[in-house]
Amino acid sequence: MPLLQVEDLTKHFGGLRAVTALSFSLEKGEILGLIGPNGAGKTTAFNLMAGFIAPTSGVVRLDGEDIVGLKPHAVVRRGIARTFQIVKPFRKLSCLENVTLATFLHETNRAKAEAEALRILAVVDMADRRDRHAADLTLGEQKRLEIARALGTRPKILFLDEPMGGLNPTELENACLLVQRIRDGGVTVILVEHHMKAIMKICDRVVVLNHGVRIADGAPQDVVRNRDVVTAYLGEARA
Amino acid sequence: MTNRLLAVAVAAALLLAPLLTANTFFHHLLIQVLFWTLLGASWNLLGGFAGQVSFGHATFVGIGAYTTMLLYLDLGLPPWLGLIIGGALAMVLALPIGLICFRLRGPYFSLATLAVAEIVRLVVLNWESLTAGPMGLQITTLPSMRWFGKAVDWESKLPFYYMVAILTAFAMGVTWFVSRSRLGAYLLAIREDTDSAEAAGIDTVRTKVIALALSAFIAGLAGGFYALYFRYIDPDAVFSISMSVEMVFIAVVGGIATTGGPIVGAVFLVVISEIFRDRFQVGHLIFYGLLMMIVIRYLPEGIWGRARLLLPLGKDGRD
Amino acid sequence: METLIQSIVSGLLTGSLFAMIAVGLTIVFGVMRIINMAHGEMVMLGMFGAYWSYEKWHVDPFVAVLIWVPLMFAFGMAVHRYLLRKIVPGGELNALLYTAGLSLLIANLALFLWTGDYRSINLAYAAAPMRPFGISISKPLAIAFVMAVVVMTALYLFLSRTDTGRAIRATAQNPDAAALMGVNVLRIDTITFGLGTALAAAAGVLLVPSLYVYPTVGEILVVKCFVIVVLGGLGSVPGAVAGGLLLGLVESLGAVYVSVAFKDTIGFFLFLLVLLFRPAGLFGVGKS
Repeated sequence: MPLLQVEDLTKHFGGLRAVTALSFSLEKGEILGLIGPNGAGKTTAFNLMAGFIAPTSGVVRLDGEDIVGLKPHAVVRRGIARTFQIVKPFRKLSCLENVTLATFLHETNRAKAEAEALRILAVVDMADRRDRHAADLTLGEQKRLEIARALGTRPKILFLDEPMGGLNPTELENACLLVQRIRDGGVTVILVEHHMKAIMKICDRVVVLNHGVRIADGAPQDVVRNRDVVTAYLGEARA
Repeated sequence: MTNRLLAVAVAAALLLAPLLTANTFFHHLLIQVLFWTLLGASWNLLGGFAGQVSFGHATFVGIGAYTTMLLYLDLGLPPWLGLIIGGALAMVLALPIGLICFRLRGPYFSLATLAVAEIVRLVVLNWESLTAGPMGLQITTLPSMRWFGKAVDWESKLPFYYMVAILTAFAMGVTWFVSRSRLGAYLLAIREDTDSAEAAGIDTVRTKVIALALSAFIAGLAGGFYALYFRYIDPDAVFSISMSVEMVFIAVVGGIATTGGPIVGAVFLVVISEIFRDRFQVGHLIFYGLLMMIVIRYLPEGIWGRARLLLPLGKDGRD
Repeated sequence: METLIQSIVSGLLTGSLFAMIAVGLTIVFGVMRIINMAHGEMVMLGMFGAYWSYEKWHVDPFVAVLIWVPLMFAFGMAVHRYLLRKIVPGGELNALLYTAGLSLLIANLALFLWTGDYRSINLAYAAAPMRPFGISISKPLAIAFVMAVVVMTALYLFLSRTDTGRAIRATAQNPDAAALMGVNVLRIDTITFGLGTALAAAAGVLLVPSLYVYPTVGEILVVKCFVIVVLGGLGSVPGAVAGGLLLGLVESLGAVYVSVAFKDTIGFFLFLLVLLFRPAGLFGVGKS
């Protein structure tokens, strides 16, 4: 049984069809890429799956259990954590406090929660910035903090919403390594991203959305050659 | 270490303060300060820690006051029991109020609390068969009680002082525990960013409701005390917008989300009140307003909040 | 039947003045996203201004409007420029608390200077009401209604036809985009706040012949104002007008057909219902 099974997920905002009949599955241990031109509905799909918006119809099964209709925190408890496209750290709190808030979910004792938070900060290479306020971090650091916070909830699946946006080449390289480290640590990953190089490099499989509809699903090298995908990104074939 | 020292010093001060002088006016002032500290602490739990700015907290004070009063007058229930039941009733009624108001965020939430408070006030005002409406309720004699063998002298202010001191110590204890606990961390997260809090697995609605319940309980206790000390209540005294606003004032000026803030705010409020009552009779509210504006502009963390940064309270200086 | 019509007419007349006050509040929210808790005090200041100019210099309030409106416009701009401007970036809650403090300050300063006595003015020509079609209409209220309509029309023309008006609407829609288009957003904020204050004060002046004047009148008015503005949709001018008229009607009919005691409660219930189920206002045009 796949870890995550999305069936006919649909969201219409009045006349705007943001996501239509989206279906795909996610196996444990995969890194799945979710790509598509701007406005394709990728972040909406994340919001739907993570409980931030209610779908118009459709089913999302985590380990067989339908999680549609659960509030975001309940979805987190079931095992899906997400980051935001525009980072939202708790600005006035320190990095350690930020992640501790997440580790508190499974560890009510403050000392133990902080210890685990420190461990996770080390995974994202931020242990030395534990006492720095989130507001004082660089964008790259804030993104890593947000990933750390998501990891703090001990998720089965991590949704990363454009983690590579705005990073310089070194940071990009490190981000790719981080995602792979996370997967190797036992967390399955879905990645919304525009950076094709990153997608090609680390994703096992790619799902492509255009205008809210899935137009391709397969290995990265196949998807990239897919006619519909090329048209979606570049317009009518100039081939 | 310094925290414990501070706590002991405060406890000692609380115990011994009224014995400094036999001046009953001084005792009255102390009682005022503690009463307003209690109210500030109540508001602080929801408004300071959780960032849910309520402009209708007097509702819970009023519920506590009327419950205590009515239980004593109509059923002869001992006042301290009435106090606790008053607090409990306020807590129970806070749940549907919270359910309604927590669907809203930010200023919308604040306006909703204002509306709810006014509705409750109008209901109490007009439900004359229960509450005697605008005429209010009055206690003429308090029950004879014995405390360690001696009869309690209700004419002296001392019994009331110790009553409110215990309540205030309780409230501050609760605040202190919350500030160090997971609940406190969750509340601060909600204050910062509710969506991020949800993403971190925090059940934001349940957490807010818990904060509200604690806050309402304390406010209810304060209301019960008010009824016993002043022996007269009417809707304009305990359900008024002014009381709600003054509660906000104390917590904000004193220091949002701190344990010591409400005391500082209450001291300021009472001192200013007394200075101006002597000379001008009404001017004190002018200075509340001015102080509020100055604090928001220059000291958003409150007077105690700012002072704390200068004191050596250690890295974990959550006083 | 006659009572019904009478009720409706008085409701609409009073409602029009409520509407004007509410429009002042709503444009400030629309442009700056702050809820001005001191708005009621602006009405109060207008009332006292008209009261004193009548007492001291025998100026009819409906003429005094011409003096007080520009003065209060300038006052509003000063309040924004020197007090509020630094607060607004701190967030809506800070602004809410700050204006709550300002409200306490102004109301109690007035209380201190002028005492809490209820005052009123009695215009000679107001003694007898008009009676068109057998319905009793107070003359001052009727004049106030007409002037309110004039003012609101002028405001509408200002917002839709002038450059500054358009700049205000643009800023309300998207301050960043407006700034990119060359709009001096800070200046627009100041002007808008001045405008909002002037509208409130104008309503105050117009209401003086019909209401008691006292320093804390702002408290009740501002709460009614919130109700109206939420009913009509925060940030929407037509919404505020409709909301004001609606509240006037509801209170008037409520007083006659339900009970005087609970007429205020009805407004609050409506308010809560709207906040819960249609936060964008009854007409769905409000902003969040």
